Amino acid sequence: MNILVCIKQVGDNGDMNRFDAFALEEALGLKEQYDGQFLEPIFVDVVTIGGQAASEIIRRAFGMGADKGFHIVTRKTVYVPPFVTASKLAAVAAKTPYDLILTGIMSEDLMEGQTGPMLAEIMGFPCAAGVVKTGLPTNDNAVFLEREMENGFRESLEIRLPAVLTIQAGINTPRYPSLSKMLAARQKKIITLAETDLFPEPIQAKESYLSMEYPEKTRAGHEIKGTLADQAKQLFNFLRKKDLI
Amino acid sequence: MTQIVIIAEIFQGMIRPVTFELAAAALKIKKLNMEKKYPGKKTPQMEIPGVVKIIVPADDPLPLADEISKRMDFDVIGLRIPGLKTYNSDIYKQCLSQLIKKIKPSHILAANTSQGRDFAPGLAVRLKAASISGVNQIRSDDQGLIYSRPVLGNTRNMIIRSMPDTPVVLTLMPGVFKQDLPDNKKKGKIEICEIPFTPVSGTTAKLKESSRIDKPVSAKSNSKNRILHQQILQKSCENPALKGAQIVVAAGRGIGKQENLEAIFKFAKCFSSSAVGASRPLVDLGWIGYEHQVGITGAAISPKLYIACGISGSSQHLAGIKDAEVVVSINKNPAAPIFRHSDLCIQAEALEFIQAFLELPRADLVTYRPANNKA
Ligand SMILES: Cc1cc2nc3c(=O)[nH]c(=O)nc-3n(C[C@H](O)[C@H](O)[C@H](O)COP(=O)(O)OP(=O)(O)OC[C@H]3O[C@@H](n4cnc5c(N)ncnc54)[C@H](O)[C@@H]3O)c2cc1C
Ligand SMILES: Nc1ncnc2c1ncn2[C@@H]1O[C@H](COP(=O)(O)O)[C@@H](O)[C@H]1O
Repeated sequence: MNILVCIKQVGDNGDMNRFDAFALEEALGLKEQYDGQFLEPIFVDVVTIGGQAASEIIRRAFGMGADKGFHIVTRKTVYVPPFVTASKLAAVAAKTPYDLILTGIMSEDLMEGQTGPMLAEIMGFPCAAGVVKTGLPTNDNAVFLEREMENGFRESLEIRLPAVLTIQAGINTPRYPSLSKMLAARQKKIITLAETDLFPEPIQAKESYLSMEYPEKTRAGHEIKGTLADQAKQLFNFLRKKDLI
Repeated sequence: MTQIVIIAEIFQGMIRPVTFELAAAALKIKKLNMEKKYPGKKTPQMEIPGVVKIIVPADDPLPLADEISKRMDFDVIGLRIPGLKTYNSDIYKQCLSQLIKKIKPSHILAANTSQGRDFAPGLAVRLKAASISGVNQIRSDDQGLIYSRPVLGNTRNMIIRSMPDTPVVLTLMPGVFKQDLPDNKKKGKIEICEIPFTPVSGTTAKLKESSRIDKPVSAKSNSKNRILHQQILQKSCENPALKGAQIVVAAGRGIGKQENLEAIFKFAKCFSSSAVGASRPLVDLGWIGYEHQVGITGAAISPKLYIACGISGSSQHLAGIKDAEVVVSINKNPAAPIFRHSDLCIQAEALEFIQAFLELPRADLVTYRPANNKA
């Protein structure tokens, strides 16, 4: 059984997207729990699309226990439509017969929540978004899962493999990379793919970026200034005036 | 005039209220389009019927379609899908795309909810449409409609345009498009359209099934449907303490560590009728129980006072405190998005501030009381 986890580098510190750490942990957890119980062994690979520095999160994934790492090297831009990202991921995913592809529920920077479900559609796989529990209880041809809905509701599903799942935070506790694995990871080769080799013709985007804005204020936003003691006193007086304390 | 279709959201056999927010957004799109087409002119053209169509997918859509048409004079298409008892992304994507391809709308609206996030991006791929998620504002510039959506932890909105002459799937943030629909004088037209679902086959890359030796293959996995719904579960999330409290003091990742929750509880004790709330990551980390979670996947609350300590103000969190009367936030980052949605902003280290508050010498404090107060 082959599992692919899509991981993205986000933020100023170049961290792995928080939700992707949950996705990777879930894949590694499945491997630990079920490896040896099926005829085929379980492998967990990772893929990222990003600038040169994105190889850092592949190293981190190796340190957590990932087997192979693919890196599609691109230039950094403010906005990449999720369909474009999903198409590139699909090109890598199609090279190996993956049974399960995991993504985060959303990326912390673009917050689209679309890449996983689009990737599923491009691959022709079924998809479940917002997964908070997984298992392979009877065979490795289907996955059992729980998907989160609003107001504390969940639905449980059985989905035939191959499938794409988008993973919600809280499903597990992502492990820290182990020192020994991190050291071993230095020797491991990252499979680097040039975007221009994969896509001689750029993928046609149907959305275009215009600008960034600050969100509108919805409340007064009165600032309390001064020393901590002053601030505390002002809050107390504010609450007292409103009869809240 | 191009059409706008809305995918009604149905859960446990009922129309979810977010459907009416989608309708409000559709009216907005219609209005912006009309203004573009007939600049300066007013109402008569606004009445063009049949521009907005609401699709209600269900095994038996008539009662639901009827309910919707009683509230709005939009046309309703009851999409009858035999056997569809609960939401299923495979069925939605296949049947909706077949229907929508016939209608050829310019806009397809769904909610950015657990359902919309599940099926809308795939539906867009099938329709070869543009797809914009989490839309929180729709407006127009000289070239057409533009859409705003939150990015970077809600610190910015990104403005996006979709390609001209391409349909666009929009998933709309719940709670932003007001439901104040015009009074419904006449009932909308209802049409029933049946599209059966054809199970998808042949996509399985795997030829052999390597079963676990110790467990029999479940009978269900031989079914033709790739996605089998089993059941709806509900976490014991009823939280009367949080929902009933007049004052909620809530903690976020900014409190740093679990032990610091103690200070949050102490802070809350300064108030009568108070409870402690939390952002989702604290619940995910296991620091505090789910019954404390505030937000779109936790509780929506309406206390007199909400104090957010070390919470950044993600749209998912804010959705839970829209109806709070007064919001006070304590955050060390002056650019934290929560400050744009607070009545009172305190830039400080949360724990230090709470300490200072707890140590206030009571005698120093103003003892102002409203005149009508008994005390
Ligand atoms: C489908 C979905 C559903 C979700 N549902 C919910 C939900 O119901 N509720 C919810 O809360 N989230 C929900 N989330 C998660 C949400 O997107 C955010 O990740 C989350 O709200 C962030 O929590 P936070 O503000 O505590 O953490 P962060 O965003 O990390 O913010 C921490 C804040 O603390 C500040 N800070 C740091 N140190 C200090 C200090 N010493 N003193 C003061 N301030 C400090 C920082 O400046 C920052 O603003 C959901 C996400 C998804 C995808
Ligand atoms: N550049 C990328 N490289 C690898 N995976 C990505 C990339 N962008 C998005 N993803 C995956 O898609 C998920 C959802 O991202 P988004 O649709 O941008 O919210 C992320 O959590 C990742 O798992």
